[in-house]
Amino acid sequence: MGRVVRCLLLIALCGITCAYLTAQCPDRPASGSVVQDPLAIEGQNGVLQASFALGHSVDANGFTHYCYQYQTPAGVVEAPTLRLRPGDQLQLSVSNVIQDADASKMKMHHAAAGGTVCGDGGVATVSSTNVHFHGMPIPPICHQDDVINTLIQPGSAPFDFNVPIPADTPPGLYWYHPHVHGFTEFQVNGGAAGAIIVEGMDKVRPEVKGLTERVFVIRQQYLVPWIPGPYDLSINYQVSDFPQTGPPVIMMKPGERQFWRVVNATLQDFMPVEVWINGTPEKLEVIALDGYPLKETRKTQTILIPPAGRAEFIVQAPPAGGFGQFLTDAYSTGPTGNADLSQLLAVIQLKGSDAKTQPAKTEPASATQEASAKAPASIMRWSDIDSKPVTAQRKLFFSEEFGGTNGPIQFYITVDGQKQKVFQPDERPAITTHVGAVEDWTIENRALETHAFHIHQIHFKLLEVDGKPVAHNDMMDTVAIPYWEGKGPYHSVKVRMDFSDPTIAGTFLFHCHILLHEDLGMMHKILVLP
Amino acid sequence: MVHFTNAVVSIHVPMKISARLFKHTLAPFARQAALSSCSYAAILVVVLSLGSGLSRTALAQDYLVANDDSFTSGVSFYSIGADGTPTFAQHVAGPGLGISGGFFGMNRLATVNIESTQCIFASEAFTSDIMGIVAGSSVAAGAATGSATDTGSSNGIGLAANKKHLYASFSDSSTIGTFAIEPGCLLTFVNDVAVSGLNGGIVDGLAIHKNMLIATYLDGSIESFNVASGTPVSNGDKQMSTGSVGGETYPNGIDITQDGHFAIFGDTSTNDVVEVSDISLGRLAPTTVYQTHSGISSSNVLLSPDETILYISNTQGDVVTAAFFDKNTGVITRGCKSASLKDYVSGWSYLGALALQQITGNGGGVYVAEFGAPSGIAVLNLELAGSSCTLKEAPGSPVPDEYSRGLLSVGRFPPRSF
Repeated sequence: MGRVVRCLLLIALCGITCAYLTAQCPDRPASGSVVQDPLAIEGQNGVLQASFALGHSVDANGFTHYCYQYQTPAGVVEAPTLRLRPGDQLQLSVSNVIQDADASKMKMHHAAAGGTVCGDGGVATVSSTNVHFHGMPIPPICHQDDVINTLIQPGSAPFDFNVPIPADTPPGLYWYHPHVHGFTEFQVNGGAAGAIIVEGMDKVRPEVKGLTERVFVIRQQYLVPWIPGPYDLSINYQVSDFPQTGPPVIMMKPGERQFWRVVNATLQDFMPVEVWINGTPEKLEVIALDGYPLKETRKTQTILIPPAGRAEFIVQAPPAGGFGQFLTDAYSTGPTGNADLSQLLAVIQLKGSDAKTQPAKTEPASATQEASAKAPASIMRWSDIDSKPVTAQRKLFFSEEFGGTNGPIQFYITVDGQKQKVFQPDERPAITTHVGAVEDWTIENRALETHAFHIHQIHFKLLEVDGKPVAHNDMMDTVAIPYWEGKGPYHSVKVRMDFSDPTIAGTFLFHCHILLHEDLGMMHKILVLP
Repeated sequence: MVHFTNAVVSIHVPMKISARLFKHTLAPFARQAALSSCSYAAILVVVLSLGSGLSRTALAQDYLVANDDSFTSGVSFYSIGADGTPTFAQHVAGPGLGISGGFFGMNRLATVNIESTQCIFASEAFTSDIMGIVAGSSVAAGAATGSATDTGSSNGIGLAANKKHLYASFSDSSTIGTFAIEPGCLLTFVNDVAVSGLNGGIVDGLAIHKNMLIATYLDGSIESFNVASGTPVSNGDKQMSTGSVGGETYPNGIDITQDGHFAIFGDTSTNDVVEVSDISLGRLAPTTVYQTHSGISSSNVLLSPDETILYISNTQGDVVTAAFFDKNTGVITRGCKSASLKDYVSGWSYLGALALQQITGNGGGVYVAEFGAPSGIAVLNLELAGSSCTLKEAPGSPVPDEYSRGLLSVGRFPPRSF
C-alpha cells in the first residue's frame, strides 16, 4: 500500500502543480455569504432529462475540484438536485470532460469476472468516472446502478443512465456520486456529489407540507484526501471557515419552521448535527433518515449522520432578536481513526418578519406525481419487512491491520468464516443469496476505528446494537459501528436485509463508506440470484 | 510543492492522529523544506567534532534506553531499579530529527559491547542518519548518513549490529546501508545495497546473527544475507512467508535464537501471528505459522535470554503476550497474555518494541514502548507456575518518556548475550 499512497501523492502533486491548465469548474460561493440551495431540476411528464459533464480544476488554494456541470441559460451550475417522483424515468447523460494528462499515473484493473464491460471499459484511472445513485432501490445493471463494471473515460461519448424510479420508492433524500473503485475518494473529495429527492414526503408526513424546504449538502475537502490533516467542511459548496472568515448564513424568518434535508457527502466525517437557538440546543423534529420516513416524528437534540447518511428534520428559527447555529459536534472515531472535529456549519440569521422566504417547492403536475400522491405509506418499499420469514443469518466483521503508525494499512470487511482479503474488482461474490431472501446480518467492528457499513440497492432495518434491541427500528442504508476499545466485546449492529425485489437481482456491493477504506478494499460483492 | 509545505506547518490535529499518515507522504517535502536553506552535512560535522572529546565512562548499572525519534530527536536513558522499575536518568539529544512514528517491526536502537566500549546506536529517521552514543556520555558521539539516496524519513530506519558493522534498513529508499563501527561509537559509511521483496515490497525489519542478516519486506517476503565480507550478499532464499500467502498477514519484526537455528518473525496481522523459520542450513527455510492469543497484530517479538519465552508486542491492541518457545524444535505454544495495559486510548494508541528487564533467565518481564504524545514505557512482570504463566503490568507502569512524541523502540543496556 505504501507504493499506492506514493502514487496517489504523485497524482495530487500533479493536480496541484499542473492543473491550472484549465479551470473547468464554476466558482464556489465565498465564505460568509448566504447559503443558497442547489439548483433543483425536475422532470416533465414523468421524465427527468439532464446532462452532466464531470469536470476538474484546481482552485487558488490548491484544492482540487471535481464538478458535475449542468448547463442552464444563465450559465453552468454545479451538482444540481435531481427531483423525481416515484414512477418517473431518470434519463441522465454523463460525459467525462476531465482534462488531466497525468491521470494515467494511477491505474487499476477494473474488469469484473467474465470481462463484463459497461460504458467505455478499459483501465480505471483517477480520471475515470461513473455514477452511483446512493440509496435508490434500482437495479444493479448497466445504465442504471452498476458501479462494478461501468467506466466513463475522459473524452469519450456521453454515457446514458436510464433509470426507472420504482413506484414504491420511499419519498426522501438520496444522493449521487462517483464510485470507481480505487478513486471514489478523489472525486467526492473534489465535490462530485449531489442530492436526489424523491417527492412525496408531505403525503407520508403531512407535518412538512407547506414548510420552506432547504437542501444542504455537506461536503468535506482535504488538500490531500488520504491525509488526516486539516480539512474543510462546506455547506452547498460554501466552506465554513469560521472564524477565519464569516460563517455561512442560513436565512429564516423569526419563529419560522423549515424542513431541512441534509446529506452527509463527506469522505469520512461522522457528524452529530445540532441546531442551537440562542445558545441552547434545539429539539429537532426528525422526519426521515437515509431517505426513509420514520414511523413517527422523533424529537432529538443530536442526529448522528454517518458518512453517506442523510437526515431530514424540521427546524424552528429563533424568535425575533434571537440567533441560531447549525453545527456538527466532535465525534471520536477511535485510536486509529481520524479526528472528526466540532465545527460550525452555518449561522441562522433572521430576516424581517415581513420578508419572504423561499417557498416550498411547487411540484409540476405529471401522471406519475398523481399516482404517488395517492399511494399510501403502507405500500412503500420494505414496509412489510416484518411480515417475512428470515431465511438466513450471517455475520460479518470489519478489521484493520497496521504495519506502522503511518501505514501500510489493510482494510477488511469479511464474512465470518472466510479469509480476510481486500476487494478486487474481479473477485467472486463474498455472499450469494437469492431473490426473496430475508436475512439478518450481524456486523461487528473489530478495528480500533469506527466504520460506516453501507449496502447498495436496498435499505436494511436496524434491529440491534451491541446485541440489544434498539428503541427505533429505522430503515437505513448506512450505519455507524463504533470502534473497539481494545477490550470487551466488539461493537456490533444486527440488521435485516430484504432481497425480495426481483429487479435488484445481480451483483452489487457492500462496504465501509469511509471512502479511503472503500477505495483500499474494505468492500465485497453480493450476488442476488433471480 | 509550496502548498504541501504550507500544509505541513499548519497541521494541528492531535499528534496521534496526524502521525498516522501525514508523515508518510509529507515528510519528504517537509524535510526538503527544512533542510533546503542549511547544510545538514555541516551540522553533522559540528556534532562529530563535539563528540570527539567526550568521556567514555562505562555505565555503572543496567539501563533501559528509549529512542525518542521525535522531531527533537535523541535517546533517553532510564536506570533499572532492583524491582525492574525504570527511573529517568538523562536524555542525550541527537543531531538530527526523528519522525515520531513509522513501521512497528524496526529496531531503531542497537546496543553493542565492543571491548571496553559500550555503544548505543539510534536512528533518526527524518534526517536519515544514525547517531552513536558512548554509554555514560551525555552527548552524542556523532552521527552518520548513508549514501545520498538512503532515506527513511517516512517510516523509519531499522538497525542491526554485530561487533564490526551496523546495518540499517532505510525504508524509503529500500536500501540496506553498511556502516563500519569505529572507536568511540562512531560510524563510517561503507556502502549500500538496494533490496526489495518478491513483489516489490520495501525493506522493513532487520536482525543479525553472526554473519547472517535477515530482512523482512512489506509484501510478505523474507530474505537472508551473508555479511561475512561486511556487505550483505543475498543467500538466494528470498521467499514469501507462509503466513503472508493470501495477503492478510506479513512478517515485520525479527529475532534469532542464540545458536542461529531459528529466525522468529512477528507478523502484522489482524490477529496474533508469529512465524518461525529454520535457518540452521544458513538460509531461510519455509516458515511455520503459529497463532497464539487473540491480540491484534504482533509486529514485535523478543526472545528471553534463556529462550524459553517469546515476548510478543500486540502492536495494534493493548496487550503483551508471553508464549512458550522450544529452542530445540522452534515450536511455540500458548503461554499467557497481559490484561489491557493502562491508559490505552487516553494516553497512547500503539505498542512498539520490547526490551528485557533482565539479561538472564526468562528476562523477568519486559518493557514495552507505548506510542503516544508524550509516550510511555510499560513495565510488565512475568511469573511462572509450572507450565503456566502470568504477565502483569507493574503498579508504577507506565513510566513517561517525556522526550518522545511517538516512541516505538526501546532497548536494554547491557544487551542480552545474543
